[in-house]
Amino acid sequence: MGGRAIVVTSGKGGVGKTTSTANIGLGLARRGQKVALVDADIGLRNLDIIMGLENRIVYHLVDVVRGRCQVRQALVKDKRFPQLSMLPASQVDQKESITPDEMKAVVAQLKEDFDYVLIDCPAGIEQGFRNAVAGADEGIVITTPDVSPVRDADRVIGLLQSSLGEPQLIINRMSTDMVKRGDMLNQQDVLDILAVRLLGIVPEDDEVVVAGNRGSPVILNEQSRSGKAFDRIVRRILGEEVPIPELNGHGGIMHRLGKLFFRR
Amino acid sequence: MAWGDLVQRFFGTRGSKDEAKGRLQIVLAYDRLGLSADQMEALRRDIMETINRHVAIDTERVKIDFLQQHPAAVMIEAPVRAKRTSGEEGKPTEEAKQETKQEEKQEVTTS
Repeated sequence: MGGRAIVVTSGKGGVGKTTSTANIGLGLARRGQKVALVDADIGLRNLDIIMGLENRIVYHLVDVVRGRCQVRQALVKDKRFPQLSMLPASQVDQKESITPDEMKAVVAQLKEDFDYVLIDCPAGIEQGFRNAVAGADEGIVITTPDVSPVRDADRVIGLLQSSLGEPQLIINRMSTDMVKRGDMLNQQDVLDILAVRLLGIVPEDDEVVVAGNRGSPVILNEQSRSGKAFDRIVRRILGEEVPIPELNGHGGIMHRLGKLFFRR
Repeated sequence: MAWGDLVQRFFGTRGSKDEAKGRLQIVLAYDRLGLSADQMEALRRDIMETINRHVAIDTERVKIDFLQQHPAAVMIEAPVRAKRTSGEEGKPTEEAKQETKQEEKQEVTTS
């Protein structure tokens, strides 16, 4: 029971849950942790293709729950990092085909063998969400700095607080240029609104699309800004104190002076 | 406020993010409480009446805010009316206080 089970969720779809799960998982494994990734998005599986493991799936989560195979048989080992495995979702079943208790049992079993179990949650707050959260010990909420994801993140944060306690927040796809122009909520704005602990900020980066195309998550690209941001997040999860660089585009002395005199 | 905001203000152009932030803060206040605008108004009225029963407040300037936290918390800012008689010699009389209260109550019911 040594492992930590973390659910990666957002409420809103398309903000980077799967991308974040894949990158954090790879990052943790690269830093020597035994990691299991669980795709809880039954019916719309995507973690496999983002990870580049789509051709190696034999069994899936629903097979495990139904007793058609052992967890070990369903786990797809990542050849890049042997200490990383993925439990794929079923593509043909429904969210309702498993229950929170069944999910809990699977995650508990994985926690015996892995240091980290990362659960990629489906969008929404219905059964799929309840299943994904059921086995988790803690939560990471992903949002982008846009009005609807932030609103949905707030809802999800409220739901997680009642079950798992305070989640941590990742702000994904932050555009320095837009923040500079005042056309995008900045880090402080989002934190003012959501009032949660910030785990990290990932800048908008075309390399994420390239990484998806190749099935090689961006954290493996050492040059990429977003890859570096994900690696800092990984180090924070591991308990390291890594400062969060402000992506506000104006972090110089004038900015600080301005802040000093005109703080609201 | 960020330096960039100031520059924008100086040049008369403001980004859209302040609008986003303001709108989100309002919509989330409702979301968190599950209250409609009508229910909010009723809450506001009841709070003002209750406080007014004990202390004369400036009803025009009553602010009801929701602290950005989970679970949501209501913060009420209700400026107490300056006692009109306190500037003159002697303490405020019981009648004067009573008067203020009456006046306030009327404002409350008409607002």
